[in-house]
Amino acid sequence: MKRVKIVAGLLWAFIGLIVIIILFPGLNSFSSSLSRAPFMKLNPRYTGGAVSKQLISERCTLDVRVPVFNGFLKERNTGFVQLDWRGTLPDKICDSIDYDEDGVKDFCIAIDRTEMKTTFESYNVQAKNIIISTPTSYGWAVRIGLLKVPKSKLP
Amino acid sequence: MSEAFILGLSSGSACLATCGIVMFPFFMAGSAGMKKIAWDLSVFLLTRLLVYFTLATLSWYFGQAIFGNPLVRTIVPGILYIMFAIMLVWYSISKNHNPVCPAKIVNTVNNHRIVPVFLGVVNSLGFCPALFIILTKGATQGTLVQSYLAFIAFFIGSSLWFIPLPLAGRIRKKEVLTKIGILATGLAGIIFMIKGLTNLIGGLING
Amino acid sequence: MDNILTIVGMQKSFGKSLLYSLPMFLISFMFLTGGRPDFSNPASGIALMVVFLFVNLLYFLMHYTGKTDRFRAVLFIIFALSLSYTLIHNMLEVRKSMSFNQADILECKIPFCHLVIPMMLLPAAFTKSIIFPGSIIGGFANISAMVVLWLGATLVLGRGFCSWGCFYGGWDDGFSRVRKRRAIKQISDLWKWMPFAVLLMVMLTAALSLTPTYCSWICPFKAVTEFEQVTSVESATKAGIFLSLFGGLVVVLPVMTRKRTQCSFLCPLGAISSLSNKITPFTVKIDKTACTECYKCVEVCPLFALSKEGIKEGEVSLFCSKCGKCIDACPKKAIHYGIRGIPAGTMKNFSRNLFLFVSFLFMAVFSSGPIINTLQGVLKLIF
Repeated sequence: MKRVKIVAGLLWAFIGLIVIIILFPGLNSFSSSLSRAPFMKLNPRYTGGAVSKQLISERCTLDVRVPVFNGFLKERNTGFVQLDWRGTLPDKICDSIDYDEDGVKDFCIAIDRTEMKTTFESYNVQAKNIIISTPTSYGWAVRIGLLKVPKSKLP
Repeated sequence: MSEAFILGLSSGSACLATCGIVMFPFFMAGSAGMKKIAWDLSVFLLTRLLVYFTLATLSWYFGQAIFGNPLVRTIVPGILYIMFAIMLVWYSISKNHNPVCPAKIVNTVNNHRIVPVFLGVVNSLGFCPALFIILTKGATQGTLVQSYLAFIAFFIGSSLWFIPLPLAGRIRKKEVLTKIGILATGLAGIIFMIKGLTNLIGGLING
Repeated sequence: MDNILTIVGMQKSFGKSLLYSLPMFLISFMFLTGGRPDFSNPASGIALMVVFLFVNLLYFLMHYTGKTDRFRAVLFIIFALSLSYTLIHNMLEVRKSMSFNQADILECKIPFCHLVIPMMLLPAAFTKSIIFPGSIIGGFANISAMVVLWLGATLVLGRGFCSWGCFYGGWDDGFSRVRKRRAIKQISDLWKWMPFAVLLMVMLTAALSLTPTYCSWICPFKAVTEFEQVTSVESATKAGIFLSLFGGLVVVLPVMTRKRTQCSFLCPLGAISSLSNKITPFTVKIDKTACTECYKCVEVCPLFALSKEGIKEGEVSLFCSKCGKCIDACPKKAIHYGIRGIPAGTMKNFSRNLFLFVSFLFMAVFSSGPIINTLQGVLKLIF
């Protein structure tokens, strides 16, 4: 038994040696394999969610993303919808958004890029407030806080 | 809800650390096997749940009366959070030196059948700082249902530690788990203290 | 052979040390240069060669003197300093600031570090996603590469990662060496379980909030890497916490106690790595027949891994990071690197040589990038 333990220990140590030797040369290959694992994708709370529709104008594009409500085990009551303006943006942006695609505008957002000021007007009780409004490398991004209200309680 | 769950989970370990000394012998002593232990444990947990429901109702009812004023609603919970969180940290440190279980009185009860009920009531009414925090939370909830949900989350978090109690004798590193539980309670206290301070300062700055 | 080594320690002759250092020399040359050193940029070429020679000198000295910790610590501390320099330099060039803003988070540009790993586990299992605003693959400090490196190192070295691979550990290791004597001698045994409590709390809070709570609220190393821009009471509170923890656990307490207090009392990844010590091939063993119970090892251990009770039973606890400090301090060479399954007191020299090769190779290659980068920066400043 003692001899078996010694041999197993030595074998394990040599496997360790090989692991460390191949770790760095194989790093790109190992990490790209890992990146293909089903859980290796960023949570929508960080990416902003998938793009649900694109509003294209002359010089810029507005991406309206899918509302994010995701939680650990179930969806949350509060979430956000992210809007990304890309391209050559005018100094003043003003857009009315129908984020839930029910044919009715849910809120209006106005951005003054020179003053770095954002104003928000809600037409829907579920669209609550501005969480983030910031210039980005691609243009401008805004996150609007959303609240899930049961349909029975909607006006 | 998640906060209440974490608070329950962290304080439940400390609760078990102190009360396990009383409960463990009861569950194990003269037991008629796993079935009997599971029954006693279920009665114990059900009693705790009922007590928490009562507390949720009471805290919400009195909270409506006390926290009606918006300024009071901003400042008082912040102060209470900080106060109880300091108590929680102190509780975790002092329990480490002098473990006392509020349910130790169980030794004086003769009727075996009511012992799990008695233990459930005494244990849930232990009025530890974690319970004070959850009472504050219950009192500041908008609706009674939200207050119930906070207490249920607290109950689930704290009860998780009691479920393996009948098997506790078989766990070799009981002391280590107890130590980690005590430290986790202290950490929960610090988290709530920071939350209370942030709420209070933020509330004062933003009016 | 081992009997001789017991008397004179693990020292070797000059020629023999050179021979033992040859494999490291060749492999590190291949890894650092890709077999073809590029001297087209003189600053980069000089930095590369200096780093290459420096790490190999340290490895040679480990064999020649028979001492481990002092040479490991030199590279470990330089690694920590140069990584902070590289990160800060990179951020100042790109962002003109050490703080990151909301746009950096929205664009998922935050460099990933191994301390996030414990918080990733539950969300990855339940939501099939990663809760960190970084890059999954490609770019600087991507998530996949860091996870692979940490997994590989932890599988082989266990908590040895904390003394041979962690690019933060060098900070409190360095500060723990500032004073010759300890100002605080009595520390309760209870505190060494704190990382497990922190682990429990951060895993739960991260899962329930889907944010890496340790990074957002606690991590003291934000003081020497990057941190959230202070724009609100919450971000100011966060800044207060990480600065206090850095000052307390990384600077003041290590100086006062000569222990690595951040690693011992806070780091949640250290807790996971400790558990991995149960399966790794390399261990630290105590030869009870040679031990005179002088407890010098207990006194010098920076991570509270040794206790008087443990020494009596010939046990090293799972907190051991295999730094080698106790091995260097033992006057009887009773404590030594070992291999799982091989009895204490046997094959000491072989075990040490194999462990040193594996652990030092990892540290040398992992640390060389930031050190070369830092040296290049210094050379640019001078010339």
